[in-house]
Amino acid sequence: MTVSRPSSDRLRVGLDAAVREFVREPINVALLVVLPPVVITSYESMLSAFPRLPYMTTDPGALGATAGTLFVAAFLPAVIGLFQVISAQRADERLSLAGFPELALFVSRLGAVCLATLLTAALSLGVLATTTEVESLALGFLTLAFVGGLYGLIGMLIGTVLPRELEGSLVLIFVVDVDEALASGVIATDAAATKLFPLHYPHEVFQAAVDGTAPAASDVLAAATYGAIVLVATFLVYTALAATGGGGG
Amino acid sequence: MSTLRTTFEMGVREYARTPILLSLLAFLPVYLILVFHWVMPESRVTVDIPIQGAMSAEMTAVATVLTTPMAAAFVGGAAGLFLMQSASAVDGRLAIAGADAVEIVAARGGVLVLAALVGSVVSVGVLSAVMSVERLRWYLLAILLVALLYGGLGALVGLVLNRLAGVYVLLFGPFFDLFLAQSPLTDETHALAPFLPGHFPMKLAFDAALTARVVPRNLWFSLAYLAVLALVVGLGFRRGLRVD
Repeated sequence: MTVSRPSSDRLRVGLDAAVREFVREPINVALLVVLPPVVITSYESMLSAFPRLPYMTTDPGALGATAGTLFVAAFLPAVIGLFQVISAQRADERLSLAGFPELALFVSRLGAVCLATLLTAALSLGVLATTTEVESLALGFLTLAFVGGLYGLIGMLIGTVLPRELEGSLVLIFVVDVDEALASGVIATDAAATKLFPLHYPHEVFQAAVDGTAPAASDVLAAATYGAIVLVATFLVYTALAATGGGGG
Repeated sequence: MSTLRTTFEMGVREYARTPILLSLLAFLPVYLILVFHWVMPESRVTVDIPIQGAMSAEMTAVATVLTTPMAAAFVGGAAGLFLMQSASAVDGRLAIAGADAVEIVAARGGVLVLAALVGSVVSVGVLSAVMSVERLRWYLLAILLVALLYGGLGALVGLVLNRLAGVYVLLFGPFFDLFLAQSPLTDETHALAPFLPGHFPMKLAFDAALTARVVPRNLWFSLAYLAVLALVVGLGFRRGLRVD
């Protein structure tokens, strides 16, 4: 027997279930609200202890606040994406068997990640705006929402390929922290390989939003292309493995 | 003694049964350390080394010496976080069946030490493939201390928070502590840095990596920090096992 529902109903049910699962643990909600200010102010404070090294474009404290904002907006959705997919794997398999289209399952999981992304982006930008003048709030918000979505997808991708909490978390931690350290501005590197990391181009666009300059079209295009590739790859892998029970674990 | 051995063997087998996990434990430190080694420019920076003060060093060497403890800390921290949470259900049953709580805690601690040791040896092995440090044994000891401290913290976080929150803490914790607060590139020590777990072992690591001398005091302080942490984690874990 298959479930016959309009597709909008299916999406709503899937999204409701994903959101409920997340908010059932108050600590998850607390994380969304508490961590942005803690991480951003800690970042700014830690980097204030650095001297202004020749390759730094601005004073280290401001550099830290900007980088911290970008990171907190990116990585909380990543962790949520990872755990959403892992914890919902069996439910998604059953829903898929019951006739839920794989696209609806994917969109409902991604929808929950996007809700967290929008909330984190708004909070992060709000915290940054208390210490740093952000010249273009709209572009800043869009960039933060984009990196949240991008890393949310990466979290989902890792969770689909490695649907076990320890293994998936280990991979996510290493991927995130290499990107975090390279994009932080604490160390100088002009190696071409760094351009392959997810935060490279969004970092340039976000800095333009803070400075009030027009972002380079090539950076915007590269970031959008990166996002599109990650979206398609995650969808294909998710529909091939998670929703149909093909993932190991 | 047999409960201790059996529980320890069970914990090790749980790890050994998952080849993907073992491959990740070997591959991820290689990835982290080598990426930084390769992308760093060939330039020199001024660093503040505890035993020597300001000195000039290759940026590549500084980055490699910094990222090696990070790799070990991530492996130790993740092992601590997941070990304590995944073991709690089994250990609760063992306690009900009459196993001694101290032996169960000691066995889980043993598995954590083993994971930290593997993470440290792999990380230092990768470092040794791309550069040589002045005092290798002291450096390995410092990295092992970092892995154990973060293993203990991961276990503590696992006792207090859920896994999602725990992973989030592990994403930022070692980065803040080891990469930013203990960085030798800083002008002055951040007010929080001396209280963070990486402070003393990182001093030991930088002395051992870049100079010919180490200050044993940093070892004693690291061990004292570790002992207090182990005591807190042990008591917390044992409390979770209490059968009334």
